[in-house]
Amino acid sequence: MATTVLTPSTARARSGLYDWLTTTDHKKIGILYLASSFLFFLVGGILALLVRAELAQPGLQYMGESAYNQFFTMHASVMLFLFVIPMLAGFGNYVVPLMIGAPDMAFPRINALSFWLLPLAGVIMMLGFVLGGAAAEGWTSYSPLANSKYSPGVGTDLWIVGLILIGTSSILGGINFLVTIFKMRAPGMTMFRLPILVWTVLVTSVLVVLGTPVLTSALIMLFIDRNYGGAFFDPASGGSAVLWQNVFWFYSHPAVYIMILPAMGIVSEIIPVFSRKPLFGYKAFVFATAAIGALGFSVWAHHMFTTGSVYLPFFSFMTFLIAVPTGVKMFNWIATMWKGSIQFSSAMLFVLGFLTMFLIGGINGAFSASVPVDFAIHDTYWIVAHIHYVLFGGSVFAVFGGLFYWFPKMFGVKLNEGLGKLQFVIMFIGFNLTFFPMHELGVAGMPRRIADYSPMAGWNDLNLVATIGSILVGVSVLPFLWNVFVSLRSGERAGDDPWEGNTLEWATTSPPPPYNFDRLPEIRSERPVFDQRHGLPGPAAGH
Amino acid sequence: MTRIAKGIPRGASIAALAAIAMLLVAACGTGVSVLQPPPAATEQGKATEWLYQVVFIVGVVIFFFVEALIVYAAIRYRRRKGDDSLPPQIHGNNVLEVIWTAIPVVIVAVLFVISWQTLNTVDAVSANPKLRIDVTGFQWQWQFTYPDQGVTLIGLPDKEPELVVPVNETVQVKLESRDVNHGFYVPAFLFKRDVIPGKTNVFDFKATETGVFDGHCTQFCGLLHSKMLFKVRVVTQQDFDAWVAQAQATPTPAPSLTPAPSASGDAGGGGGAVQPVALQLTAQNIAYDTSELSAPAGAPIALTFVNNDNGIPHDVAIRKDSPTGEEVFAGEIFPGVATKVYDVPALPAGTYAFVCTVHPNMTGTLTVQ
Repeated sequence: MATTVLTPSTARARSGLYDWLTTTDHKKIGILYLASSFLFFLVGGILALLVRAELAQPGLQYMGESAYNQFFTMHASVMLFLFVIPMLAGFGNYVVPLMIGAPDMAFPRINALSFWLLPLAGVIMMLGFVLGGAAAEGWTSYSPLANSKYSPGVGTDLWIVGLILIGTSSILGGINFLVTIFKMRAPGMTMFRLPILVWTVLVTSVLVVLGTPVLTSALIMLFIDRNYGGAFFDPASGGSAVLWQNVFWFYSHPAVYIMILPAMGIVSEIIPVFSRKPLFGYKAFVFATAAIGALGFSVWAHHMFTTGSVYLPFFSFMTFLIAVPTGVKMFNWIATMWKGSIQFSSAMLFVLGFLTMFLIGGINGAFSASVPVDFAIHDTYWIVAHIHYVLFGGSVFAVFGGLFYWFPKMFGVKLNEGLGKLQFVIMFIGFNLTFFPMHELGVAGMPRRIADYSPMAGWNDLNLVATIGSILVGVSVLPFLWNVFVSLRSGERAGDDPWEGNTLEWATTSPPPPYNFDRLPEIRSERPVFDQRHGLPGPAAGH
Repeated sequence: MTRIAKGIPRGASIAALAAIAMLLVAACGTGVSVLQPPPAATEQGKATEWLYQVVFIVGVVIFFFVEALIVYAAIRYRRRKGDDSLPPQIHGNNVLEVIWTAIPVVIVAVLFVISWQTLNTVDAVSANPKLRIDVTGFQWQWQFTYPDQGVTLIGLPDKEPELVVPVNETVQVKLESRDVNHGFYVPAFLFKRDVIPGKTNVFDFKATETGVFDGHCTQFCGLLHSKMLFKVRVVTQQDFDAWVAQAQATPTPAPSLTPAPSASGDAGGGGGAVQPVALQLTAQNIAYDTSELSAPAGAPIALTFVNNDNGIPHDVAIRKDSPTGEEVFAGEIFPGVATKVYDVPALPAGTYAFVCTVHPNMTGTLTVQ
């Protein structure tokens, strides 16, 4: 509407950079999401390597406490808010409309806005580094530490503003996904024929729409406290320090599910395809996803067991309980592979890595549900191990699985399998070398977020191992970058359906045309493309 | 042909299972020391330690069971070269799904109940503790006050404070913060509790053995969080009584490293031939109001030190050349809001640093010429 055709040559000019900057095509926006998130993954990764370098030995070798605190704060902020969440939103953007047989998202321009807020927010958050210091209170930004009295720098204000923009982007994206999924499904695509990835994006979007406004409110309150004399979180003036933790975790625990549910969705698409079997227990999986979403809102205070300000048995019970639907999913995945015909493609390898790592991340998390055990391990390196087994071993492995799986659809060429397997092996070993020793450091008593530790504490060797592992993880990204580069130049042509896929995105060309489909196959199950290929009738209605 | 093809994967899967079983045995063999917390040094910690062992064993068993299924499935059902057949299309099995929902429910219910029971032991607070200690956290030190004994200790950057307690007696700790959130954590107690401004937390512990145990702040509290350390020294009742008597005899809080300079309410002439020079320094928001002071050489200085931070302790020390240099003057640590005036002896010309020994990030330069 705002665009008018100026000259006949516009069409040609628009095929380049201008087109990428102004596009409202969900596929291009999806790729922009993935590319921008991957850049922030590299930024966050470099920050992580700086943190690990400093911790390799006791003593301060490379930086002071001030720089260290900024690095670990920004590492987490970048990885969570500018990498994992947008990366998964990018997959959702690219794949969801294709999977439900829609021409685009429901609100293509809002979709573009959701994306473009992110790099802007990222730049604002990072500006702190050149304006006297970035935020350095940890990604949890506990008040009163984050109040202007104790953290006067502008970096914290920039962090708040950036995060509010990211939250706005998430809310707009969440609403867009919900409307798209509810209103734009192709004929025959009933709710119980939705691919599992779409279900996980749906539940994630509900979490985003319900949870993110709470975080945004909290951030605005913190901004008022810092800049306009507010006292929401300042106990000296009648506010409450614990209030911040409540509102922060009310969003940020569901946020963990925002960061893992779509990853579970990716895994649930890849396993059936490379096992040549339908997902075992489709409906159980859907209900488990919904249960995780619902329970996810009742466990936030397990981050606050040591505050002495929460009713411990309730949150302990809910936290234990959330392990059940998660366990159901694990068994469903294994049962899907059972008696299947499993092909060890790079995508499947990353997913197998996900299963093992996420299994550990689920078990070591259950320790924290047991309140007295949490008293022992809370705020130690055990928790650092836990969050990385869930979000790196879980989400990041699923992300790479998804990249190998959908890259041929996005660009018409496959990524190189040999380089993919090389990357997997280095990353899997590096990841476990980095994070497994942290369990031991944690139970031994090493607190998280410390720039330095005593050489007498007995933590030297394991920290060195972790740092060596982190270098391996860093190295493992190099074959991937090279892989993308060479594959885009001269990769193996993929064709429309290189993996014998199940879902609708494989029924169109690679890459798909604008508005996605010329015609759709008949949709009689959650695997329309499988049905088309094998001529099998879909399962009876209602499964 | 199919029979041979089936024989190979079965061998491979048996090998894989054997490998996992060996790992399990190895893990159990060395498991005594792997992923175990330090031996608990309190009664409460022993309860937690037992609970940790239960959760740990359950977790390890679940891990090896599920991981074995993953590895077995991946190897046993891998696609063979040239095999293009479609495996049976199984969509689900209600009985199986009920079983693998119900069993985890039972496991977590049991873990929840024993956790709750243990919690009641760990969290119990006595009405009549043998000893009460008020612990105050502030950036980035601890203050330990024994209200009934009239003893107070404050940690310094180069000397972490030591909490001295008697063995086999119930000690009640009251936690308060003067500024931001902190965390009181003793790994050997398998316990931590947050130290939160505006909220008082109370917990009990009963040490079961003598010794010195490391303690850390575990709630990130700003710049020097990693330096916010302390120790707990558990001694016999006899030794404890002796320690109290000695501590009571020593004036509190004893931060001065050089012979205490006279601090008085009035500036006072000092009696020297040269008139003292008046300087003022204010501490506010955990910062000095200036980073530059200057004074003439050879003249005594009347230093007015104003601490405007309500409840937060500060001091001022003057050191040669740098904040870590040789100390030429040290005031006492006192919480705000309060003012003290010090007679600083005449200094030879040169560059000095003034520093708050509680907050080593508070520094400035004193130029004497």
